[in-house]
Amino acid sequence: MGTIPDLSWEKEFLYSIMADLVVGISDLKCSNQPKDVIITYALGSCIAVVIYDPMVRVGGMLHFMLPDSTLDKIKAASAPAMFADTGVPMLFKSCYQLGAEKKRLIVKIAGGASILNDADYFRIGQKNITAMRKIFWKNNVLINAEDTGKNCNRTVKLQLADGKCFVRSSGGSVEEL
Amino acid sequence: MLDRILLSINKLPAFPATVQRVSELLKNEDYSVNEIVSVIKFDQAITANILKISNSAYFGVRQKIKTIHDAVVYLGQKHLVRAIQTASVSKFFTKRGYGDKASELWEHSVAVALMSQILSRQLHQKENPVLYTAALLHDVGKLVMGEYVQDASKKIFELVNNHGYSFLEAEEEIVGINHADLGGRIAEYWNFPAEIRDAITLHHRPNLDDLEENIFPSLIYLSDQFCLTMGIDGGMDGLAHRGFSEITKRFHLRESDVEKNMLLLLDQLKQANELLGIVDK
Repeated sequence: MGTIPDLSWEKEFLYSIMADLVVGISDLKCSNQPKDVIITYALGSCIAVVIYDPMVRVGGMLHFMLPDSTLDKIKAASAPAMFADTGVPMLFKSCYQLGAEKKRLIVKIAGGASILNDADYFRIGQKNITAMRKIFWKNNVLINAEDTGKNCNRTVKLQLADGKCFVRSSGGSVEEL
Repeated sequence: MLDRILLSINKLPAFPATVQRVSELLKNEDYSVNEIVSVIKFDQAITANILKISNSAYFGVRQKIKTIHDAVVYLGQKHLVRAIQTASVSKFFTKRGYGDKASELWEHSVAVALMSQILSRQLHQKENPVLYTAALLHDVGKLVMGEYVQDASKKIFELVNNHGYSFLEAEEEIVGINHADLGGRIAEYWNFPAEIRDAITLHHRPNLDDLEENIFPSLIYLSDQFCLTMGIDGGMDGLAHRGFSEITKRFHLRESDVEKNMLLLLDQLKQANELLGIVDK
């Protein structure tokens, strides 16, 4: 009878190299580690902004919740990622610090869903989309791909190794963005 | 399919009477701590969960709570009842409902319950324990309907995505009943008071003409909409539910109020992390 080899350290090593960086609501994460996968769950009316520089393999993801930081200046100071106008600049700056350059960045966005026929209330999804487009327009940034609006909840994933970005919609399948 | 679903209600275990018993005991001003402890200890699952959540920042107790005796002494009446309510309801969240795991529906339910109390404080300057229970249980129908809806999800999404149905309307068409109506029947089976039953039944279709008499369905509807919008939806139905703009007017909620309430809920959810964690991920 042979002894069973102890593989626990190998397993641990495997888990340690496949890291998921989870972005919460009002949060952002950046990385230059090819093993990293940045993921955010349950976007609802919130929006995930995903940027990636393929040359240096630096990427980041922001999960902002509301369009405009003037709603609560104190919150905006302590958690800039909560709002589009404070979160988006911070996402770009954080990636620049890791060596990304604006002209090479690929920008993708997902989220901004709405409840059915909400013509004039709970318009946060639509307001988020508009606010973000405005920010990019003002700063000469092109959006390369987007999956926004509709009535589904989304989970978004960015693989640092190749910059591939995937969106899973509630009740739907996973699609590359 | 409908018959099978309705029959499966009768297979649900009885709802623990711990909350009612403890509430009765608390009515007596010089209640005995040991008596309350013995009532709670009777149910081991509830006891374990009460201990898990008692030290949550949400309850704001400074002393470290290690035993049920500590919990009864330090939590205070309001929070003790809240902890027992939460622990009692959580027992039933062993199925995945419309999501990938049971914890998703539980987190949604706790979020709606917390939001219902935020709204109650704003409107009535106080919290409401009955509303809290109703909010925690509003989607209880999904626990029973989950497997049927997951099986029929293709047909349901065909109606939702291509024919203008809300998820609720698609449930009615495909399954024969919606999760809110089914939840109301479960509440009836558990002998809950009419106001909790109706709040569950009407949580997607509140009657705005009945606001004075029966405000619970509207409050839970609104709390639910807040959570759906924030992405805390607990399942595949996502945001595919109907919005009634009339309701925000009735409650005098401006857009900035809606956004501020979302920030409040986010803060509370962080404090209530332990409450979210009692259903296995």
